[in-house]
Amino acid sequence: MPDTEDTFDLTPVAAPPTKRRGRWRTIGVLAVLVLAVLALLSQGLLHSLNYFETIDQAMNSRAQLGTETFRLEGVVKPHTIDRTSRGASFWMTGGDKKIFVDATGSPPQLFQANIPVVVEGHFTSETSDKFVATQILVKHTATYIAKYPNRVKAPNGTVR
Amino acid sequence: MIKQLSQRLLGPVTLVLLALTFWLGLWVTPPDRVQGNLVRLLYVHPAIAWVALYVSFGTSVIASSLYLWRRTRSVVMDRVASCAMEVSAVFLALTLITGSIWGRPTWGVWWAWDARLTSTAILLVFALGYLALRRANDDPELRARRSAVFAIIAAINVPIDHFSVDWWHTLHQGATVFTENGNFLVHGSMLWTLFLSLFAFTLLFFWLLRARYRLEVQRDARYAASLDEALAQRRREGVH
Repeated sequence: MPDTEDTFDLTPVAAPPTKRRGRWRTIGVLAVLVLAVLALLSQGLLHSLNYFETIDQAMNSRAQLGTETFRLEGVVKPHTIDRTSRGASFWMTGGDKKIFVDATGSPPQLFQANIPVVVEGHFTSETSDKFVATQILVKHTATYIAKYPNRVKAPNGTVR
Repeated sequence: MIKQLSQRLLGPVTLVLLALTFWLGLWVTPPDRVQGNLVRLLYVHPAIAWVALYVSFGTSVIASSLYLWRRTRSVVMDRVASCAMEVSAVFLALTLITGSIWGRPTWGVWWAWDARLTSTAILLVFALGYLALRRANDDPELRARRSAVFAIIAAINVPIDHFSVDWWHTLHQGATVFTENGNFLVHGSMLWTLFLSLFAFTLLFFWLLRARYRLEVQRDARYAASLDEALAQRRREGVH
């Protein structure tokens, strides 16, 4: 028998099922993908695209907020931090308004005066300026400046 | 000649620049006024995010677009798109990991469901979905076309991720380098080290892409050879 290509039928015998299987696998992957994205969105963004309210926004919508739990952002007012055994209390400013925050739990290591923070909690009443927080988060700025800008190196290598 | 030389030098130059970045970042640059030594993550995290979101995801999307355009359609574009997306997936995971490591001591939490972090996590899911989609199809042409379309659709999330810190209130800080008014918010040697890290990690991407591309070419060649071998085997079976 001659060994030439036209002697043998090399057509694949079971080709059609592959495409169908590929289609179902594609649909399966896309379904898992949609579920994963929806799961992430439900955690992160479906409730609110904004992670926090500013003090101005919170004060302007006091009636709606009531004693509901939400996140509030402002800057820690200098000389008002009082660290307690339960956490810390301080005044927080935003625009020309200020709110007293009484927070429980250990503050982050960067927590200090003049730093922007986000606190999670609620107002004690619909008319009160006191905010009871269960968590303090530090929202550091995008500005980076050397800690000791005037520090110079002496000829012997020591830093002054 | 120049092409060969640049290909040979890509790896060593990348390693030297990465070593220089780490030396400057760990020993030469000063601590930050607020963050202290935590600022040293500035020379790692933004550069990894830069490669993940813009360089590698962008390369994959451009190559996907060129594949879909008939005049530039080729297996090279499909390979570049898939290899770049693989690198992007790795760098997106590293972005989330390094961001989390930086977030714990600064914010006080490992993770926050704000718009920036969530959209980056979604981008990682898209990248993994792209790779899963490629493995779901056996037909090379169909696989290339579907994954190219998917990459372009997934790219909608890149500008959302980028502008999320401007559009919404996020715990993640605003732009450090690409600010709205064009002012740099990083000062002195910290800024130059940041730029160096961006350049070094970009070179690392091209080095990884090249290595991954060569692997893909070898895999395709091996697959073709195994197909030829299978056909030859079948012919032999027919003879005897």
